[in-house]
This record gives sequence, C-alpha cells and structure tokens, in this order.
Amino acid sequence: MNLMAVVDASVKKEGLQDLTMQRTVSSVPFAGRYRLIDFPLSNLVNSGVNTVGVFPTYPFASLLDHIGVGKSWDLDRRKNGLFFLPVTQRDGGLSSVGAFAALEEHMQFFTKSIQAFVVVINSFVVSQLDFKDMLDQHIRSGADITEAVSGGVSLKTYILSKDLLVELIQTHRDKKVVSVEDVVNLKKSPHTFNEYEYKGYFAIIDSVQSYFQASLALLDEENRKQLFLPNRPIYTKVKDEPPTRYVNGSHVERALVANGSTIMGEVVDSIISRAVYIKKSARIEKCIIMQKCVIEENCDLSYVIADKDVYIGEGVVLHGTAEQPIVLRKGETVTKEDSR
Amino acid sequence: MMKDKVVAMLLAGGQGSRLKSLTYTIAKPALPFGGKYRIIDFPLSNCTNSGIETVGVLTQYQPHVLHEYIGLGTPWDLDRHNGGVTMLPPYAEIDGIKWYAGTASAIYQNISFLQSYDPEYVLILSGDHIYKMDYELLVDYHKEHEADVTISVLEVPWEEAGRFGVINVNDEMDVLEFDEKPENPKSNLASMGVYVFTWGKLKEYLETDNLDEASSHDFGKDILPAMLKKGEKMVAYPFKGYWKDVGTVESLWEANMDLLDLNSGLNLHDSGWRIFSSNPQLPPQVITETGNVQGSMVNEGCVISGDVSKSVIFQKVRVEEGASVSESVVMSGVTINKGVNLHRVIVPPRLDVPEGFQMPEQKDEVVLLTQEKLDEWKERGGK
Repeated sequence: MNLMAVVDASVKKEGLQDLTMQRTVSSVPFAGRYRLIDFPLSNLVNSGVNTVGVFPTYPFASLLDHIGVGKSWDLDRRKNGLFFLPVTQRDGGLSSVGAFAALEEHMQFFTKSIQAFVVVINSFVVSQLDFKDMLDQHIRSGADITEAVSGGVSLKTYILSKDLLVELIQTHRDKKVVSVEDVVNLKKSPHTFNEYEYKGYFAIIDSVQSYFQASLALLDEENRKQLFLPNRPIYTKVKDEPPTRYVNGSHVERALVANGSTIMGEVVDSIISRAVYIKKSARIEKCIIMQKCVIEENCDLSYVIADKDVYIGEGVVLHGTAEQPIVLRKGETVTKEDSR
Repeated sequence: MMKDKVVAMLLAGGQGSRLKSLTYTIAKPALPFGGKYRIIDFPLSNCTNSGIETVGVLTQYQPHVLHEYIGLGTPWDLDRHNGGVTMLPPYAEIDGIKWYAGTASAIYQNISFLQSYDPEYVLILSGDHIYKMDYELLVDYHKEHEADVTISVLEVPWEEAGRFGVINVNDEMDVLEFDEKPENPKSNLASMGVYVFTWGKLKEYLETDNLDEASSHDFGKDILPAMLKKGEKMVAYPFKGYWKDVGTVESLWEANMDLLDLNSGLNLHDSGWRIFSSNPQLPPQVITETGNVQGSMVNEGCVISGDVSKSVIFQKVRVEEGASVSESVVMSGVTINKGVNLHRVIVPPRLDVPEGFQMPEQKDEVVLLTQEKLDEWKERGGK
C-alpha cells in the first residue's frame, strides 16, 4: 500500500469539554465499547494502511493507554506500524485538521517512510471510509488534494502526495496557511482539488449534543448495519469482561449493551458500556452510561450522559433534555440531593 | 509472582466421548463454555493469576482448534521471552511416533522439555476442569509439608465419591490410601487431578513407570500408588470452592446453569481473578424493542429480539422475534428463527434453526440439538 496516515488527534472541540477534561477527543468513549479513535484506526487497517502516525496533544495518557503499541489493530509490527507522535505546539492550528506546526515536530515520520501518499484524518468523524478506494480515485483525478465529503458535508479527511505535504509543512509560514484543512478551504489556491463522495454511515462528534444524537442513533438497526460491517470490523482494546448478566426482573428495550455489565433495573433506548452495574428498580431512559458506572436502586434517569466511574446514589432523579443532556463528569458521585 | 521455578503441564488431549458430537472435531478442553470461554481458559487463567509463567500444553486428540486458539498464549500473558506457553503434541522419533498412552506417559515423553527448564516443582493440571484456583497457595502448601507430591482434593457428596479417585488421609492430611473410582469409598475427598510434584521425584517415578510393561502409564492408577507404596511423602491439599469436571452433555449444561446462579460459587464478574480468553472484535449486544432477556448471560455481537430466559448466549447469536429460549446454552453464531421454542437445549455453534422448527418429544432432559436433527425435521416435511 503506497499510503501512510496521519491521525490528527490534537484537534480540540470546545463543545465536548465536559467529556474531554482528562482526555483527548480521540479517546472519548463511543458506542458502548469503543473510543472514537477506534473508527479511523480500524478503517485504516481495513483499507490496508499500516504506517500510521497518531499526533495527539496533552492530555494523552488515556489515549496512550488505549492504543498502546497498536496491538488491537495489528499495528505492532517490525516493519511500519503505529507511531505515537505527541505534539507540543499549542498555538494556531489546533482547531483545524492537519496543523503543519504540529506535523513539523515529527518530520522524520515523513522523511523515513517510503509511501508516496498521505491520508490526513481526524478522530472526531465516525465512519467506514475506505482509504484504498479514496486513494484510487485521488490518483485517477490527477488533483493535488482530495477531500472526502458526504452529501456536501466535509469529513475533514484528505489525501495528498507526501511531497506536497512535506512542502506545505516546510513553507506554511511563508504561505500563511496553518493546516491541510486550511489549505483546502482557501478560496484562492495554487492547488487543484478533488472531492471523494462517501456514501456510508458517518457522524461528526463535535459537541455534547452531536455526541448524544450520534450515540442514540446507533439504536437504529440501519445505522448499525452500516457502521458494523462484518468484513470491516471495528477493532478496540480488548478487555476480558464476562458476558453481560441480565437478572430476573430486569427490563431492557432498545439498548446497546457491552460486556461485563449487570442489569437488574430498567433500561430503555440507551447505551450501556462495559462493567456497568444497574441495580433493582433503577430506570434509565435515553441515557449513555459509560464504563464501570454504578447506578443504585430507585434511580430515575433520562437524557443523561454518565462518564466513566460515575456513582449514582440511591433514589437520584435526573432528567435532561435531548437538546441539553445532563453530563456527569468522570468519577463524579451523585446523591439524592443533586436530583434535578 | 512466584519465586520458585514452577512449570505447569496442562493435559489437554482428552476426547470427552460422552459429549457426543460436541467433541467430534475438537478436544474437550476446547469446548465452548459460559458465553465466551473455552474450558481451557480456566486452568490457563489460573496459571496467569497464580504467577505461573511456564506452561506446557499436552495435546493429542483433535488438536488443531486448541493449537490455533492458544497460539502464542497472548490472551493469558503467556507470550514471553522466557517460558510462556509451549504446545506439546506427540511427536515422532527414529523408532516411530510416540502416542501418549496415558497421562503419565504424556509427561514422560516431554521430560526433555521439563529438563530444559530444570524446575523445582511441576504442577500437573487438567485442561477440562472449570474452577478458579490459586496454584501459588498449593505450591506453598507442598513446600510447607515438605512433600514429594501434593494432591489437591475436594469434598464431594458421598454418593458421588465413587466417580473419582478417592483419597484417605490422616489428621495431618498425609495420604494413606489412593482408590481410583472405588465401589465402596472410604472417604469423600476426591482428587481433582491437580498435583504438585517435586521435580526430581516425578522424574524418577516417570522413568521407572516407563519401563514397567504392566503399567497403564496413568497418574491416578500407576504413579501415585507406586509412590505411596514406596512411602514417599504424599499430602492432600483441601481445596474449597467451585470445581466441575465437565464430562457429559448434562454436566456441560449444569455448569453453564451454575453461572446464572449467584450462589454457585462460580463468579466470572470478579476483576481480581479474571478468566482471560480470546476476545473476538464484535459490536455490543443489542436488545431490541421486542427482546426480553431474564436471568441470562449474553455476549457481544448478539441481537436479541425474542424471549430469552435462564440461558447462556454466546457471541453473534440472533434470537428473532417470536422465538423463545429457556434454560438453554446457545453457542456462537447461531440463529434462532421465529416460532422456535427451545427449552433445555444445547445448540452447538453456527446452527441456523429454521422458522417453525419443533423439537422432538422431550421431557425434562437436556438435549443436544444437531444439524442432523434439523435435517430430519426438514425431511419429515417440517413436522
């Protein structure tokens, strides 16, 4: 494969602040057992791309813990593989994809590799993009840069030759451009552009609302069929959780549930991550409950996003709205007095 | 981590003929169990959790699935530079192929493997038992008692004792007698088939046993009685906890049902003693609008639209709307279509149970569903 990848995990999203206090956008949990970065990484390996540089900024501990040496994606290789390339640069480019000042910190990644093309991707778009198909189309088009779009919406994913990318990195200050995204968005440009139309499932996760909507949209079988393709699996770090236990008297309806959970209460229209404990007579509707949360008896929750390790005490009542779901931050403890 | 050099030898060559078609193409230790595991995950995970880092896995009957499954031992952290897991099938020598004639001959034929690690103690394990056990405590006990061999024993109901190797002990837990499947057991302490030997002694007895043409080369029948006869120090280690030897369709079903019983003593939701397994990359399970799951365990990749109660559901199972499954074990990749009602059934992997399929007359017994049964039903015109 003549394609290498830059996974830009440095882009910050203000709207996701509540979920990114202690992690990058790329390591936000999604769909019960995944992190957002699982989708681009899986798409890369499913497309045959095995030289992958991940460029995160601080705080990247959770991301590093998740991807490690890339074993879950078969990217722990002698030849090529996964390169974890943290970037220190804090000014300018972090709001757009493929910031040159960030890539500049790791020029060796580009100069030492042999691939002629680079795909620059982000970790806030969930999709099943096929980069091999996109590369073929890019080459046929003869354009300098190809951008993946879907129904007029940019997926902020770009293919260009490595030579052009290196030239842009080296000259971006003179040319007054900050990122690949910026170059593509410029009205006047010396470059030629091409669009690659993607037809499958996608979701752009840039705010709590879009996160909430995209998550619950997976309860729709049509969306799941498009995102979880049997021949293009989504890989993630494996946990040795046992199957989920549904206790007598529980009621589960339209729910996506990961392993290791114990469900005694009622769960409707919700996403339940790994090792969650939902006790008797607790009711969860339209909620996203992340890893290792405990929900005590007689709770009544709707439109709530509970980040990892949240403890919800007995009898807590929390009702958010579709427009403004209540976000409980990682590790938070909620008691009856906090009901709203 | 264990300070002493312990090598575990895991006997995984068993056929399990009473498990019928479930073990036609796989060895008993490879049997799927508990929604996502294979039975051998239990002894392997016990090794990992006990800090045992060198494990030989002895295979013979239908070894391919086991070899592929265990691979480099990665799920159990046994992919190591020093030690780790080594698959030990029978092999050929100048004078022919040496099949493993019995449990002891399997170990004897791998003496050079053991010698290469020069361990202090050798732990003999069986690949087809379901239990959680800290082998480090067993080895410590063996050392404290300055024993030549320690046998892990379990108290069983008196009426069942005759099915096991029964151990008679004195107050100090010294073994006085070893009765293999006695008609009139004098004790209800059953051998679990888990032994620790001091390596030098084991080697000596294996070599002697190999020359004995009358021997069946079995630990329970030959090695242990010989050691007892010679007055070697043999002690019993009292194990308390869940332990099951899955030998029949019925007992496989029972062991699965035990998982659903919070009081059975077999808890998989124990982060301090995880059972490691190979984890396929599958999306979370889905319970749809029409799905109803009660008192069951369900694994990833399932879509449940029908009724499931008191059942263990493996990965990638579909239970369609209008189908019901109760007190059953449904293995990976099975689809149960509309109008099918299964009660006390084990469904082997990848069966597609067609719409309207009716189980043949069945009382309270557990039935193993097979492709042949589905074909017969079709031949009868779906009646």
